[in-house]
Amino acid sequence: MTMRLNELQQVGDAVAETAGRKIGDVILSLEHISLAFGGVKALTDISFDVREGEIRAIIGPNGAGKSSMLNVINGVYHPQEGRIVFHGRERRAMEPHKAARQGIARTFQNIALFKGMSVLDNLMTGRVTKMHHGLFAHMLGFGPGRREELAHRQKVEEVIDFLEIQHIRKTPVGRLPYGLQKRVELGRALAAEPSLLLLDEPMAGMNVEEKEDMCRFILDVNDQMGTTIVLIEHDMGVVMDISDRVVVLDYGKKIGDGVPAEVKANPDVIKAYLGAGH
Amino acid sequence: MQFFFEALIGGLLSGVMYSLVALGFVLIYKASGVFNFAQGAMVFFAALTVVGFVGKGVPLPIAIVLAFGAMVLLGLATERFVLRKLVGQPPISLFMATIGLTFFIEGLAPMLWGDAVQPIELGIQDEPIPWLLERFDIVVSRFDLVASGIAAALVVVLAIFFQKTRIGRALRAVADDHQAALSIGIPLERIWAIVWAVAGFVALVAGLLWGSRNGVQFALTFTALKALPVLVLGGFDSVAGAIVGGLIIGASEKLAEIYLPPLMQAGFGGNFGGIEGWFPYVLALLFLLVRPEGLFGERHIDRV
Amino acid sequence: MLYREAGQFKASFAEDMQIFPIRQDRIAIGLLLAFAFFGIPLFASEYWFSAILIPFLIFALAALGLNILTGYCGQLSLGTAAFMAVGAYAAYNFQLRVEGIPILVSFVLAGFTAAAVGVLFGLPSLRIKGFYLAVATLAAQFFIVWVLTKFPWLSNNSSSGVISAQKIQILGFSFDTPVSKYLLVLGIVVVMALAAKNLARSGTGRAWMAVRDMDVAAQVIGIPLMHTKLTAFAVSSFYCGVAGALYAFCYLGSVEPDGFNLDLSFRILFMVIIGGVGTVLGSFLGAAFILLLPIFLDNTLLPTAHALGLPFSNATVSHIQFMVFGALIMFFLIVEPHGLARLWQITKEKLRLWPFPH
Repeated sequence: MTMRLNELQQVGDAVAETAGRKIGDVILSLEHISLAFGGVKALTDISFDVREGEIRAIIGPNGAGKSSMLNVINGVYHPQEGRIVFHGRERRAMEPHKAARQGIARTFQNIALFKGMSVLDNLMTGRVTKMHHGLFAHMLGFGPGRREELAHRQKVEEVIDFLEIQHIRKTPVGRLPYGLQKRVELGRALAAEPSLLLLDEPMAGMNVEEKEDMCRFILDVNDQMGTTIVLIEHDMGVVMDISDRVVVLDYGKKIGDGVPAEVKANPDVIKAYLGAGH
Repeated sequence: MQFFFEALIGGLLSGVMYSLVALGFVLIYKASGVFNFAQGAMVFFAALTVVGFVGKGVPLPIAIVLAFGAMVLLGLATERFVLRKLVGQPPISLFMATIGLTFFIEGLAPMLWGDAVQPIELGIQDEPIPWLLERFDIVVSRFDLVASGIAAALVVVLAIFFQKTRIGRALRAVADDHQAALSIGIPLERIWAIVWAVAGFVALVAGLLWGSRNGVQFALTFTALKALPVLVLGGFDSVAGAIVGGLIIGASEKLAEIYLPPLMQAGFGGNFGGIEGWFPYVLALLFLLVRPEGLFGERHIDRV
Repeated sequence: MLYREAGQFKASFAEDMQIFPIRQDRIAIGLLLAFAFFGIPLFASEYWFSAILIPFLIFALAALGLNILTGYCGQLSLGTAAFMAVGAYAAYNFQLRVEGIPILVSFVLAGFTAAAVGVLFGLPSLRIKGFYLAVATLAAQFFIVWVLTKFPWLSNNSSSGVISAQKIQILGFSFDTPVSKYLLVLGIVVVMALAAKNLARSGTGRAWMAVRDMDVAAQVIGIPLMHTKLTAFAVSSFYCGVAGALYAFCYLGSVEPDGFNLDLSFRILFMVIIGGVGTVLGSFLGAAFILLLPIFLDNTLLPTAHALGLPFSNATVSHIQFMVFGALIMFFLIVEPHGLARLWQITKEKLRLWPFPH
């Protein structure tokens, strides 16, 4: 089994190189992760890694443990067993806000925007890890706290331009249609200038055009900003098109790992997706 | 030592009454997810209504029946005109709405029936039980015992009602998931009406018992407020929790009232009575730090 | 026609991020402040100062404090009055026990004392939310009032904890007339309201709102929950503490712990709900509304009832007050959960487009 995985990875590297993309060293590796809620096992002995600059997809049927996997990576859930090494530093239990400070940003399956705030404020909130002034500087309304605010507004405006959401800057996010909310959520994650971006079903519930837009943004983020991306997605066409390597989970176990073509041909994966009868 | 037992028994007996009010909270919370702050005001309203009817020359049993009718009406009106309009709002808004309801009822009750302190005569003597006095030299009020007997019986009946009957099952289904309950054909509105009626009945019993003990007065609402720490201790969604929490709060506040002031006096000098007023809340607060979901509450996992 | 932002182009982010971005708003606020500082003292009567204007400002400050915690950070508190009590008693004790301490310093220290107590009772918020927290803040309400009543040192051994606030002197000038007290309170409240407005539109405010709107997402973005919630408790209690000190020193003169009861906490909560959750303006509107409503009812109900020959007593009026308060709370939560401030905002938006409907 391990033998085959290594082979697959080598194939993956080869494909990435031929495509002319800048895929670097492993920046995140998950080793033998197991997670359970009470008696229910969500993840069992899962290992895989993510290389700098790649788009890594996690796929699998409903309830396979994909979202739990992301939650483990950014510290929302703490696995009972296993090691997480990010940028060469090992950690086990970590608070999510510290993961954010290390450069991990994410979006959620069910949009988790701050509904009472405007698009601009949501994005500004995304920059919290980069802002250093505190309460007393903020109270003044002028001086260093204000200058910092302005500098970050500049950065946020770049994200707004990138995602083409200038017209809704001041709109409360609760009033936006679903597709735009998804885009704003991506914007909030991007505002943090993350080195690792976790996207939980960024295209769920979108129509074809919105999906195309989102695909373009994801590829551009990866390409222009060099951001490493881990994404969960159900649309197989999209996954096969945009990702460099794919991990397949089923019932909390890893059943496949490799480049899209390889995964597509994996009999275990076919079985999990189509059922044993076929 | 027998002093200790007296205090303990007295505390436990008044604890049963707290359980009774807490039970009203739990019923509504379980079935509709509403934390009904007005439960205490409902106790006050029920007791005052009984007294009011009696004052107009209506015999006690009929007054109780009429008061029950008034409670049901009040509950139905609340459900129809307030809570139903707030469906889908965050729970905290619903909670604040019931604070508004509390004020409304606290104004309405004395407006209808006057605000003088009034007695209720249930015909149970508030005197020591001779047998216990002779045998163990412990003073236990007959009234307290009978009252908690009634309260305990009601608690048991409600527990059975919740666990065994068809309506009880429907209630639990509604509490779990409104949408799902609706989709399998449980009539939501009827269920809520039943819940408010039952909660009103519980409030009526509590109001009668407390009212006949201390007189029907505004202070009743403060006593009823003590059901809140009971709930925190027991967990908002647990009938068993309401009962055990009530007993713990009742007993511990009595013991604290008796044993803490002398200790504090030795330390600081002065008079430190009135610990009962805050002890249940502080106890609940400390308990929360250890076990946020309460003794019997369900632990929730935040899904993201 | 007067309220238009057309033509006010913003050439920099700094202009776009001013405290009041629309020119007409800036002018209006300026005029209002000028009127409050220079206009009102010219003609208002003593009754207006001591029965309406001073309590209005103080309650608005307390409501602002609660609004920071509940409206901005989403943590419901039922113990506001207790934190005000801490402020009042702390200011009294600083004046009493520290030789020659300036009164304003006492007020600030009173705020910090309240903030410390607030943080202490805010600790449970790290593990619990919603109603659980509301019940925990009730502990603060009952416990603090009890402590102030029972520990004689805190009230300088006066019976049942009554304290009489010391005279206010700043730089040799005595604030002993209603006008001077009003101006002092106004100055403090304006400064603190501006600070609150600045906080609300800064990183601190955004962190609070993020925790309010979705705490898990806030954490994932990098907002430390503990720090954020406790800052909200600290700032909120600071505001309530200063409000409490002013309540004792500039409004009532002498206070007892029981004056800071649950009822007062509820009244301030009502100001926040009716005024507008999560707005600075709402705290002022709510305070004015809750303060003026009883006066309005007193002045209208009794004469009407007498005219109609109904047997209305003062007690009846107070019962009706309860009912009206309760009904209004439910009404606002159902019809306009964002309160008067939202109504004001809607009016402004309408005004902007007037005379066209869209």
